[in-house]
Amino acid sequence: MAQNKTSSGKRPKLAAVVTAIRLYSHPQHIVDRFLDGYGWNGTFHHPQMDLVGLYVDQRGEGDLTQELMDRHPGLKVYPSIEEAVTLGTSKLAVDGVVVVGEHGRYPETATGQAMQPHFRFFESIVDVFRSSNRSVPYFNDKQLSSWSWSQSKQMFDTSREMGFPLQGGSSLAVTWRIPSVEFPTGATVKEALCVGYGGVDSYDFHVLETIQCMVERRKGGETGVEWLQAYQGESFWQAYEQGVWPHSLVKAALSRSSTLMPASRIFTDVYPSVKQMRELVPDPTAYRYQHRDGLRCTMLLMNGLVRDFTFAANIEGESRPFSTQMYLPMPDGRTTLASFFSPLVHNAEQMFLTGKAQYPIARTLLTSGLVIAGVESIYQGLRRLETPQLAVTYQPSPESTFWRS
Amino acid sequence: MLTRRRFLGYSALSTALLASRPLLRSGFAQLPTGSTEAPFRLAIIGSVYHLGSNLQSIADRFLVGYPFEGTWHIPNVQVVSVYVDSLVPKFGGPLDWGWRREEARAARRTQGEPGAHTGSSAQQIEPGPPHPPIAHAVRQRPGAQSYGEELPENIGPATDLSRARSEEFGFRLCGNIPEALRAGGERLAVDAVLAVAEQGDYPANDRGQILLPSYDFFQQCVQVFQEEGRGVPYFNHKQLSFSFPEAKQMVETAERLHFPLMAGSSYPVTWRLPDVDIPFGAHVEEAVMVGLGRFDGRDFDALEAMQCMLERREGGETGVKAVQLLEGDDVWQAGREGRYSRELLSSALSRSDTPLGLTLLDGRNQDLVASGALPQLVKDPAAYCIEYADGTKATLLMLNGAIMDFNISARVAGKGLVSTQFFLPPTPDVSNTACLAAKIEQTFTTGKTPYPVQRTLLTSGMLEACLDSRHRLNQRLETPHLAVKYQPPRESQYVRT
Repeated sequence: MAQNKTSSGKRPKLAAVVTAIRLYSHPQHIVDRFLDGYGWNGTFHHPQMDLVGLYVDQRGEGDLTQELMDRHPGLKVYPSIEEAVTLGTSKLAVDGVVVVGEHGRYPETATGQAMQPHFRFFESIVDVFRSSNRSVPYFNDKQLSSWSWSQSKQMFDTSREMGFPLQGGSSLAVTWRIPSVEFPTGATVKEALCVGYGGVDSYDFHVLETIQCMVERRKGGETGVEWLQAYQGESFWQAYEQGVWPHSLVKAALSRSSTLMPASRIFTDVYPSVKQMRELVPDPTAYRYQHRDGLRCTMLLMNGLVRDFTFAANIEGESRPFSTQMYLPMPDGRTTLASFFSPLVHNAEQMFLTGKAQYPIARTLLTSGLVIAGVESIYQGLRRLETPQLAVTYQPSPESTFWRS
Repeated sequence: MLTRRRFLGYSALSTALLASRPLLRSGFAQLPTGSTEAPFRLAIIGSVYHLGSNLQSIADRFLVGYPFEGTWHIPNVQVVSVYVDSLVPKFGGPLDWGWRREEARAARRTQGEPGAHTGSSAQQIEPGPPHPPIAHAVRQRPGAQSYGEELPENIGPATDLSRARSEEFGFRLCGNIPEALRAGGERLAVDAVLAVAEQGDYPANDRGQILLPSYDFFQQCVQVFQEEGRGVPYFNHKQLSFSFPEAKQMVETAERLHFPLMAGSSYPVTWRLPDVDIPFGAHVEEAVMVGLGRFDGRDFDALEAMQCMLERREGGETGVKAVQLLEGDDVWQAGREGRYSRELLSSALSRSDTPLGLTLLDGRNQDLVASGALPQLVKDPAAYCIEYADGTKATLLMLNGAIMDFNISARVAGKGLVSTQFFLPPTPDVSNTACLAAKIEQTFTTGKTPYPVQRTLLTSGMLEACLDSRHRLNQRLETPHLAVKYQPPRESQYVRT
């Protein structure tokens, strides 16, 4: 199939296919940035492309679609995905698609995972690609499929077979880092860890992708994951105290946090003991997993202790852990803009302009699979699960793609 | 010259608190490991020690450690004495009275009683018992809203914590500054002094300056240094003084007595988004800084943040030849006339994560300059216009109602725009003060300041001159006294690792 070439100098046309546009929903953050622009590189940047077609899966209370249309007369909302990407014609009529399958209200699986419509959107769009005998770069926010490995794999495989760039994942991989450091390419790493917050089947994906965007740069590249085990409640604390994951890495990560909750209420910034962490974090979750080359990683969700995402790893030859914070300006009272969507959208723009994915979608395939395995492990009573399906191998992009300018 | 500070009563301490305690470390703070050197002994003097005060945020770092370069760093320090100005009755009487007065104020504040303001009622003494009822005065800690938690029953946002800290960490709580420096003995008994003067019960003058006692703190320490025949490293938080002559005298005194004087705000040393600085020696044409606050200390922070970047320009710092503080519509008019670059303003605003107005409504991004929204959002704009002696110009715009963070953009010849946000981590952690603590500790342990105190001297003078301009109906004022020249270090000093 012929790739759409945007190097002709014409402004690319885009269609967006999203769940629901409400205040601070992912579709609002992402669609707004294509239409209104955003602060980038020290100027107010307007993407050199036009978002002209929009499909919104769920309207209703809090819906901002009409307001969006009012201030952007060039934007047309279509009643179906097919019409949005064909702009009401019979053939694919855009040069790129922006898909946001996050938010909205969807039914849950038996394991309690929300059945977000990433795959349904994907199938409808790919149908048009096929019938038009043409495919275009495809941006997919966050997971591939949030709840089905086979769907995730099928999305990955289809993009490869049809030869269109597919890019997305978490904003954690591309946001500011404090300090502004990159994982050393080719480093040997035995242990890596990320402390984050938020819920299972939600922010766990972000924590996993935070780890993955770093460790994929290790010696040999990514080899896939062979097993995973979840920990919650008392089993979490037992594992913690037994040193199942290194305390030194927890300390290194938490020392990068800007939101460490003081254990003593007459202090404002103080490092907690494990006992104090227990008091602060009533409902912790860990996913501990091993890559096929032996690397062990730990994802910690510690609601009550932090409200940010911090990474630490032991790198061979370094006396101290390598660590940083993946900083999210968060409109929960701290900021008013969720500016971490800016680097996500900027990387998507680069894909639409160059026709090339800026970072590997295999990363997102692996992390999508890790979330599904993590939730499954919890569902099966915190059982360790072998994960032969997660033998995802890939090489990272040589260039760093996180926000640093 | 006599000030009311000089009349400080050398009041007696209650015996229970004078009792020498062994150095107690709390459960979560460990003694530094791996250090064979004796800890340096620190005296801390400040205005108020309550949750969220600058003193609490900075002093605690020397008690319980702080995040630094990817670890929880415990400084090799022993805090031996603390002096808290707000606790000391100004005309004698037991120190207890000060605590009770503070507690009474705290209780009244939460009950919303009239007269419970934080204004200038320093002379108002409320002696002795009865002890006010505070047991049920449960309050939210500053910034605790998002954490949804409450403070312990008897702790409020204005409750003094120095007694609790003294008991926990075993330092001496002192009734006056010389006592703090001598740790109760006859001789200077500390290796460094940390001074944090901040808004408490201090009066303001007709220029809107709060008469913080930084100079008085300093002079009392210098008296001890002089009697001892030697000084020790001294850190002064934020501006040296509200008065440039006093500030200048402080710098000259430190030079004369050969002790390291470090000063300033945490803004110059905090993280930057992105991690950029003015290239050393570059020709800077103009800079625009945006922020919020007004005559509340944050204008000093913002001016010093601007200064720490601009001092790196070609030729180093040359001083300031004139200032003007514009207010109201004059601020927008100055923009239209090109007194400051609207391109730089737009650039600085593009670094903000906190635009207000429509963003609050629907989350959208806004180009506040192009949309013309600024004048609608900012009801009381102020522009601090700085003309440097070498012709460089800089403007600090305080845009209350438009944004809630601090950002700068500068035009550098041959490099285009250099812009960044000075990252201020949220409460309660405010880990920008951890960045500052690392620099303070560096000064204390090495005896060398990481950046020249002249930066803070000049900034103190710029702020005073701007407030003078305002007082004189926003006239442009020549400032020959601000010919402060200095060379900054080549290496950037903000936290990057």
